[in-house]
Amino acid sequence: MAGPTIDRSLVLHVARLASLSLDEGEADRLAGELATIVEYVAQLGALDTRDVPPTAHVFLDRMPLRADEPRPGLTREQALAQAPSVEGEGFAVPAFVERK
Amino acid sequence: MHVADVADRVARGELTAEAACARSLEAIAAKDGALHAFLHVARDEALAAARAVDDRRRRGEPLGPLAGVPVAIKDAICTEGLPTTAASKILRGYVPPYDATAVARLRAADAIVVGKTNLDEFAMGSSTENSAYGVTRNPWDPSRTPGGSSGGSAVAVAAGMAPCALGSDTGGSIRQPASLTGTVGLKPTYGRVSRYGLIAFASSLDQIGPFASDVRGAARVLSVLAGRDPRDATSLDAAVPDLEAACGREVRGLRVGVPDEYFAEGLAPEVGESVRAALRALEERGCVLRPVRLPHTSYAVATYYVLATAEASSNLARYDGVRYGLRVDPRLDLRAMIGATRDAGFGAEVKRRILLGTFVLSSGYYDAYYLKAQKVRTLLRRDFDDVFREVDVVCSPVSPTPAFKFGEKLADPIAMYLSDVYTLPASLAGLPAMSVPCAPTRAGLPVGLHVVARPLEEATMLSVAAACEAAFPCASPL
Repeated sequence: MAGPTIDRSLVLHVARLASLSLDEGEADRLAGELATIVEYVAQLGALDTRDVPPTAHVFLDRMPLRADEPRPGLTREQALAQAPSVEGEGFAVPAFVERK
Repeated sequence: MHVADVADRVARGELTAEAACARSLEAIAAKDGALHAFLHVARDEALAAARAVDDRRRRGEPLGPLAGVPVAIKDAICTEGLPTTAASKILRGYVPPYDATAVARLRAADAIVVGKTNLDEFAMGSSTENSAYGVTRNPWDPSRTPGGSSGGSAVAVAAGMAPCALGSDTGGSIRQPASLTGTVGLKPTYGRVSRYGLIAFASSLDQIGPFASDVRGAARVLSVLAGRDPRDATSLDAAVPDLEAACGREVRGLRVGVPDEYFAEGLAPEVGESVRAALRALEERGCVLRPVRLPHTSYAVATYYVLATAEASSNLARYDGVRYGLRVDPRLDLRAMIGATRDAGFGAEVKRRILLGTFVLSSGYYDAYYLKAQKVRTLLRRDFDDVFREVDVVCSPVSPTPAFKFGEKLADPIAMYLSDVYTLPASLAGLPAMSVPCAPTRAGLPVGLHVVARPLEEATMLSVAAACEAAFPCASPL
């Protein structure tokens, strides 16, 4: 397969998708490393897989679903106990709704 | 003392659980300063749990199959009330409110959790050098890594700090460190052991399994761990045979497949010699060796790094600084808080894999990389389907080299990834596979024999491993 060019701008685009803030030095270094890895994995393109179904999971056929019944989970206190910031009965986060 | 020796002596009243636990804690105090297998030692909790087992014995109550057996737990597995970090800064100080099912089953069998062991951050690595909390040293040669990612668990057992430990194996993270430290390490069939409470790396590959100082110990721990868990939809509802009895079973007539592809370029000659000697020992015990072909083997590393990183990029999206773990919050908006938290909390290898995984799943590249790798995974599975029509197990080296030095492979991610070349195919096919020590190298470094079996045929695998163990009895190094 014709490989894409892995440069700083592609790395920064992917980092945005992955919610990672990278500084430019880090982005340059990772661009070089990822280019090497992507070039290595491109060898898969040599295999003819036209009639081959994908494997997402090995034993999907023998995994029974359990009954969909409510049962007790963590208490609110347990769920909030590890949070970096709590307000009232919930997790506190910085503002994400734009103000008028 | 091995797992069964401890449990059986505790059950008979010849040894108290407290004494067994104290012995383990003393070994940790004496040795772990130099080796750093543990991230957290649960001294008080362990002694209290051991005394409770002894009290129950005094009252005449029946004890579980792991009564008083000290066990070390890889720090990617949740333990109620004990810190669980996955060796990442992003989970520093995290204390889970629940036990993983595997841990709960160990406790219910009266095992004693003595501590949490070091790993490559989020199990991403093959040397334990990617831990955010320092490296773990190989007790056979402290200038060398113990392998990884479950390096701490391997060293805890290799150095006699605990007779058994839990690890997790996504692409070889139990078997490769077992091979490099002269311990027994077993990855069960995918779905054999519940993943509930295992911090997820690649969910279609991750599997919890035991390390032990002998094959029978690994079998006993696995019989405690195995079985359906309603909390893990991927756990299999399959009967668990008597795995310990399998360790004493004759191997005469078993057909052992020896794949050409696993003895090709890249295999250190000394490792090849040890493994061939192990195969001859199996032949002397009546196994029938057959050359087999696994033609897609050379594609396993590329397939794995596409699929495992794709799944990791999705699994690690949960670390957002909101519900638990680290938050870096320079009074910014939500997106900036999440980005800054993840940038500060994840190490270099984890970022590399998140980015690769996000890339192969992203618009325009999904078919060429992710879907392609899923199809090649099918080809790798078919290789094994074909071979297992002809043979009962497949045997090979676990790792192409013995334990390597610190820093030797860190600069080159692909060299590090290639150290998993023999363990990845069984992971991608979901097969049970284990490492059992065979003859060490002339320099005295351990070498493991890799035994792979059909799905759910851990018993056959254990019979072959026990036969190898009988031919190459190996002592704890420290």
